[in-house]
Amino acid sequence: MSYTTRQVAAANTLDHKVYLEKDGKPISPFHDIPLYANEEKTILNMIVEVPRWTNAKMEISKELKLNPIIQDTKKGKLRFVRNCFPHHGYIHNYGAFPQTWEDPNQIHPETKAKGDNDPLDVCEIGEKVATVGEVKQVKVLGVMALLDEGETDWKVIVIDVNDPLAPKLNDIEDVETHLPGLLRATNEWFRIYKIPDGKPENQFAFSGECKNKKYAEEIIVECAEAWEKLIKGESVDSKGIDLTNTTLETTPTFSASAVSEIPAASPAPAAPIDKSIDKWFFISGAH
Amino acid sequence: MSVLRTFKIMSLNTRAIARLNLTQQHLAPRRLSTIANINQGTKYTSDFKNYAVQNNKVISYFHDVPLELNPTTKEANIVVEIPRWTNAKFEINTKLPGNPIVQDSKSDKVRYVKNLFPHHGYIHNYGAFPQTWEDPTTQHVNGLYGDNDPVDVCEIGSRILHTGDIKRVKILGAIALIDDGELDWKVIVVDVEDPLAKEVYDIHHLYTKCPGLLETTRQWFMDYKLPDGKPPNAFAFNAVYKNAKETIEVIKQCHQSWKALVHGENRGGKLPTIANTTLQGTPGYVDDLGVKLDNPSKPDAEIPLEIQRSYFMTSD
Repeated sequence: MSYTTRQVAAANTLDHKVYLEKDGKPISPFHDIPLYANEEKTILNMIVEVPRWTNAKMEISKELKLNPIIQDTKKGKLRFVRNCFPHHGYIHNYGAFPQTWEDPNQIHPETKAKGDNDPLDVCEIGEKVATVGEVKQVKVLGVMALLDEGETDWKVIVIDVNDPLAPKLNDIEDVETHLPGLLRATNEWFRIYKIPDGKPENQFAFSGECKNKKYAEEIIVECAEAWEKLIKGESVDSKGIDLTNTTLETTPTFSASAVSEIPAASPAPAAPIDKSIDKWFFISGAH
Repeated sequence: MSVLRTFKIMSLNTRAIARLNLTQQHLAPRRLSTIANINQGTKYTSDFKNYAVQNNKVISYFHDVPLELNPTTKEANIVVEIPRWTNAKFEINTKLPGNPIVQDSKSDKVRYVKNLFPHHGYIHNYGAFPQTWEDPTTQHVNGLYGDNDPVDVCEIGSRILHTGDIKRVKILGAIALIDDGELDWKVIVVDVEDPLAKEVYDIHHLYTKCPGLLETTRQWFMDYKLPDGKPPNAFAFNAVYKNAKETIEVIKQCHQSWKALVHGENRGGKLPTIANTTLQGTPGYVDDLGVKLDNPSKPDAEIPLEIQRSYFMTSD
């Protein structure tokens, strides 16, 4: 199993796209990469969207064919996450689980909020800084339930199985033992990260508590089932998500020819990021 | 050492005149924009050097870049060594002619500061005041000796500055770190061009303008060597920040120590080179520092992967 990326245009530009390939052939990171990386379902694949300590809000496109990773925009401008003191950019390698979907047609019984219409979000806490489009093999440790502008937005906490700490981390309480302060910082980061953009503080369900591995695995199964319905065309409303895939031959949106519609690689050095993104925002009462 | 051979022997009289000249040079602000800098060798190796250059001539970051301390506006000049959010320990080398910025090394390995969670590298643009010196030959507060370096600064503006930048800054305050048993002032400043500079003019303004910054800075300096297996650093003055006025007095003192140094009043093997190209009448004055820019800048070396690691430890 070897995944690579196909870079189109320069990073930090509106034209930039990162496609995923398997054995050199374009695939969808949303639909074509299996969620589980082993038969026991103890190791999962994760797609990295935003490397730690960076600001560009890169995410899997729901609308574009084969769902390349692109930078989110607002009013035609590239979006960057602000630095909230003492943090620099994202504090984890941030990304998503393939073949999962937080179904906006369903209200979660415990958070009482509907899904955010995205693949399930993942925070990888290993020591290496990842790269955009990297596919990591990870183990699940826990989950936090962010309520982001009224939608349930689960954040699954994982660690790269190849990280030196991975053998010692088996459930959420091990995270506090070996990485003291990390969960508190994660909680703070997600609560305040939109405040510099003039938005209110985000809330967490369960009083901000991080649920354990077992709870996280149940959430993952729910989101995997929602995606199954979505890809079979059985969802109540697929919300305009492009379901084209190049490997799931029994699905209605399978398309071997989609491969030829994907632009050729045109890698270019990253464009400079506007200096205003260097700024640190100080939020009183955040800590 | 060839530079040292050109030192002139001066009578007391000529020394006094020289000192007057020096003072006049400080009073006449020079245009910082005429000072550029040039990289030599490969960044992130011991081969790397960054020199200050003026009129196509290498000058000394330590001695030739003017301090231009103005106690009224609370402004002075700094040399940026380490950009915020980076790890490589770049510093003005006090021993080499021209005092280039090099990456500090230990047993032939270049040094990096570790990431102390939740921080990424240095949390300020870090650098030094030119023409200042923390004198290691006399005792200062608490019987401590200076650390034999120019005075350190932490620039807190919103821009990331670059190695070799020379900036005019506003002085806000300072904390007296005791690093490995030596006195090591950390002066808090802000780039005069930063919007924040118009809103703050003393240390206590930062408690409201940048909540958490001073407490975090103190904690960071206390703990930053823990990942290397060293004990936490201590502070003089009960770890209380000095205000702008008191800080300016410290800088003045360190400027005086530097003046004594460049006038040859301190001698010893471990002291800095005093070779310079602008302080006429000082024993280290030379027309040309003899630095050959013959090692062109090459692509950066890879920073070791282990430098990406965060360390989860605190002295609290």
